[in-house]
Amino acid sequence: MENQSLRLGVSDFIALTNQVLDGAYPSIEIEGEVASFKVNQGKFIFFDLKDAESSIGCFMMVFALRIPIEDGMKVIVRATPKLTKWGKFSLTVQSIRPSGEGSLKKSFELLKAKLAKEGLFSTDRKRILPYMPQKIAIISSTQAAGYIDFVKIVEQRWSGLDIQVAHVQVQGESAPDQMIRALEYFNQQSELADVVVLLRGGGSADDLRAFNDELLVRAIAASRIPTLTGIGHEIDESLVDLAADVSASTPSNAAERLVPDRVMVQQQVRGSLRLIWRHMDEVAESSQNHVQSQLERIVRMIDQQHLNTVESLRAIRSHLAAYDPQRVLERGYAITRGEMEIGKSITIEQARNIITAEVTNVTKK
Amino acid sequence: MSQKNSQNEPETISQKIAELDKLVAWFESDKFVLEAALDKFNEAKKVAASIEEDLAKLGNTIDVLKKDFSKDS
Repeated sequence: MENQSLRLGVSDFIALTNQVLDGAYPSIEIEGEVASFKVNQGKFIFFDLKDAESSIGCFMMVFALRIPIEDGMKVIVRATPKLTKWGKFSLTVQSIRPSGEGSLKKSFELLKAKLAKEGLFSTDRKRILPYMPQKIAIISSTQAAGYIDFVKIVEQRWSGLDIQVAHVQVQGESAPDQMIRALEYFNQQSELADVVVLLRGGGSADDLRAFNDELLVRAIAASRIPTLTGIGHEIDESLVDLAADVSASTPSNAAERLVPDRVMVQQQVRGSLRLIWRHMDEVAESSQNHVQSQLERIVRMIDQQHLNTVESLRAIRSHLAAYDPQRVLERGYAITRGEMEIGKSITIEQARNIITAEVTNVTKK
Repeated sequence: MSQKNSQNEPETISQKIAELDKLVAWFESDKFVLEAALDKFNEAKKVAASIEEDLAKLGNTIDVLKKDFSKDS
């Protein structure tokens, strides 16, 4: 009996094997440790993924690598198994992410150092958010508790806002790309929002991993619209936070930093009116004081003038008194009236007496 | 941010607050004259009342975009 085995050429066998692999593992996640990591021609990445007993070769394109990877890091790859035309079995990697706290931290620190060196986190790049923004763009999941907290606090604090929300995933593999698309959407509008806010409530380091994605961090840093982040809890720090213009500690804190409190604004408005009133009062009082002081000055001047006149009169009187004939008579002199001829009758006036006498002799001196 | 209505009156809360600040500044400036102060004060009172009214009655408009950001457009 003839053997019924399938007979194929090498290429066909490899193609068939790949078809079988595609059917069996359209996409699979494999966890392991990275070894022999290298980048060829700036485009192709090769590394081995290994555990205690086994190792498998991996291939991926540079553009698919969103986090820094180095040998020894524990990672999870999403990949498709493939048999190459040279008969080598390898994994074609679509995405890679750190696994475990140590690798997450290592990856975070590597990317942080790289982007910091490029100046993406520099304080010189930070823009000030408008005090009273009107048009707000929000990137978040509308089901997220953080988004709900944010909206609640904004509603309590301020009014008249035009808020546009891009509903995106804020966790998981596709989250960074969704947030980047939303950011691009808002930055491409003809009328830009005053602020774009990126929100997500608390979660584990792995939940918040999307906010350490290199492309998302770069998109935040490049945004034409000033950026505000409210991600996780107070203790969480993401690279997106570092690249944003303002980073709030939580979504609720983002709401507080975004809009003023209407009660405070009301107090300020009332304070302004009180300030104007006080100023008017001061000016009125000052004018009144000025008029009063001028009046007093006039009265003082009249008084002075009066005193001067009285003084002047006194001086004149004193002066006149010196010429008073009576005072001369008092000093013993006498006034003689009549013709100084012998036999004529004359009168002699003294201080106390008026004497009538006859001239008996006139002698020239 | 800077729309104004046809009578050139401030329209938004921030514009009205800026107008109020301008009036306060007038009172503190060299331009202050007692004859004009009462009119300016009444104007400030009107702007302040309008701000308070806006703060009390206005709500926010929240529009969740229909665009699907899970796919490349």
